[in-house]
Amino acid sequence: MKLLKSLVLLSLSLFAAGQAQEVREVTFWTAHGEPDLSALRQIVDNFNAEHDDIQVTLSQIPPGAETDVTRLMTAVRGGTGPDVYMLDRFIVAQRAADGLLQDLSPYMDGEDVLANYLEFAREEAMLAGVPYALPFDTDARALYYNIDLLEEAGVDTSELDPENGPLTLARIQEIASMVDQKNAQGNFERMGFIPWHEQGWHYTYGFAFGGDFYDEVACQVTPTDDNIVRAFEWIYDYAAQEGPQQVQTFRQAFTRPDLPPQQNPFIAGQLAMIITGDWMIGNLERYAPDMNYGITYIPVPEEGDASVTWAGGWSMVMPQGAREPEAAFEFMKYIAGEPGQRVYVQETRHMPTLTSLLDDAELFEGRHQFFRDLLPTARNRPPLPIGALYWDELTDAWERVYLNQQEPRAALEQVAARVQPQLEPFCAQLQAEN
Amino acid sequence: MRRRFLSPLERRKLALGLLFISPWIVGFLAFTLYPILYTLRISFTRYSGFGEPVWIGLANYRALWSDTVFWQSLGNTLYYTALAVPIGIVVALAMAIAMNQPLKEIPFYRAALYLPSVLPLFAVSFIFIALLDPNRGIVNQLMVSLGLPNINWFGDPRYAKLGLVLLAQLGAGNTALVFLAGLKAIPKTLYEAAVLDGAGPLRRFWSVTLPLMTPVILYSLILGLSLGLQVFAQAYIITNGGPANATNFYVFYLYNQAFRYSQMGVASAMAWVLFVITLVLALLIFRTSKRWVNYETVA
Repeated sequence: MKLLKSLVLLSLSLFAAGQAQEVREVTFWTAHGEPDLSALRQIVDNFNAEHDDIQVTLSQIPPGAETDVTRLMTAVRGGTGPDVYMLDRFIVAQRAADGLLQDLSPYMDGEDVLANYLEFAREEAMLAGVPYALPFDTDARALYYNIDLLEEAGVDTSELDPENGPLTLARIQEIASMVDQKNAQGNFERMGFIPWHEQGWHYTYGFAFGGDFYDEVACQVTPTDDNIVRAFEWIYDYAAQEGPQQVQTFRQAFTRPDLPPQQNPFIAGQLAMIITGDWMIGNLERYAPDMNYGITYIPVPEEGDASVTWAGGWSMVMPQGAREPEAAFEFMKYIAGEPGQRVYVQETRHMPTLTSLLDDAELFEGRHQFFRDLLPTARNRPPLPIGALYWDELTDAWERVYLNQQEPRAALEQVAARVQPQLEPFCAQLQAEN
Repeated sequence: MRRRFLSPLERRKLALGLLFISPWIVGFLAFTLYPILYTLRISFTRYSGFGEPVWIGLANYRALWSDTVFWQSLGNTLYYTALAVPIGIVVALAMAIAMNQPLKEIPFYRAALYLPSVLPLFAVSFIFIALLDPNRGIVNQLMVSLGLPNINWFGDPRYAKLGLVLLAQLGAGNTALVFLAGLKAIPKTLYEAAVLDGAGPLRRFWSVTLPLMTPVILYSLILGLSLGLQVFAQAYIITNGGPANATNFYVFYLYNQAFRYSQMGVASAMAWVLFVITLVLALLIFRTSKRWVNYETVA
């Protein structure tokens, strides 16, 4: 198959050369690993097969922390940057404010390309009304539970069925404690649930408790919102009950940034419940095809509360200094458009940001439909020019809280004190927008 | 330069000499001196790395003064250096003495002791992650079997820096080689005289070896200080500055300011502050060295 494809490509390119046509080379960088990388490769191959005059080369760069774009920045400064880069969408505003990204409007020929996307994704792709990105995928978070592991621990899993709506955090904690197992040395060998593992972020619980992270009118970050403080307090108490260091010891093997997916504790059957994204469906298909598991809503603080999830996702940007901007935009429209998103959604179980694809029933099989139904009510992170800093500061505070190193309110006050001054210079611009 | 004019021959020789070291001169000017001066200018501006720097005077330095994480990162770095450098010198000295034993198979031992120093830090870091894993690591298994507590080296804010201090000892082989050269330079006659005077091995070490090694130790101390204050890669690879900022070292924070928050001005100001701190500490060590470094050569 591969051979055939390359032969076809080769003959195409020879044919193209015969036509004495100028082939424009577009370089495309991503930090994504498997299984997403294969899907991206397939999209690039499809594009190249359909275009004689543009050839896209995909390069994988080493993954860094959530907000790290060192490789991109230094390459762009050195004049060796890519034409297209896959960037976490919530930090587009920050990178655009830095001057790292190109305004895409000149390439749109007056066409409102962004009109085809979900509203929140569109907002994340712009800064001060200027489009800097084309939204790619989106995702949502939910609670996965390993039915066999829970049953083995004596839990009746029918309670967790999404038909019954979300469970309370307190109930999840009770269920989790039934699964916990320690070895002779007093270390956890198996755990029911770690609220702050994987996608159990500050935003996850802040939203779940009904918190708001940003006040648009006042142009203020609001990490000390009472509901966010409550969320952090719940985490603090949970950690105190389990023993923060013992949980940390259990997690130690699973928190490396480059961990292969099959070593995920949920996939390995060492963790019975986990809050993570829709992509886990694809990972489980690949690495634990026999697992008997269910997906339900993110737990709620009080009985009767509505469950809240949040959506993130990635985007395609054109860095400054792209050598083939026209061809690059051609590719961006393709990958962020229907042909690219369709392949990506099918292969990786992420979700599309194109409104036209969201109602495509055949894209969302079975479990995937659950996430699709969460999207209309999903929250999203405020797309701010200091989005990366805000994320990192929240993450530091989050860590200090689940390690019981600092009281929640003090930790969050520190976030506000460190982030707000950095936001101030942008306030005039942001308020003019509203 | 001498005061009289150079003869044509000397001038030709000088030009030739300069020509031969020109690659270094050009490299130094372009890649060391220019960036140093450039960061000084940038440290007085707000600059994201793109567009034009905006002059803001001392604002970056003032912002650092009131930045809690800046002080925390400085504290972390001084703590690490204060432990890693002296321990490193003791370990290197022990290794050098081991390498200096009159055994037939000594080349093999030397290679074995030196090998970890030439491995890439990246690889060594990953080996260390495995060795110090609280669930499966050999080091931790050994500690537990000896009745010691099981420490989560890189996951516990109280121990993360110590874990990195341990890791730093794998690089002791480089210093050990310098020490070995120092040991070889000590005249045998001194030891013979000491034996005749009835000195045992400990006494010989304390009264002959150590005093004559002090110049080499001073050199290692200064070098170790400047390297220790710049600790970065281990924290970046293993702990990403965590847990709870415990390994957020000075240069790691500087890197984040530059490449995660696009604050090139703040990062440049930090670089200059670190330069001054390193200089002051090095001068302090030199100041005290008069008291403990022994420059007497044996005629």
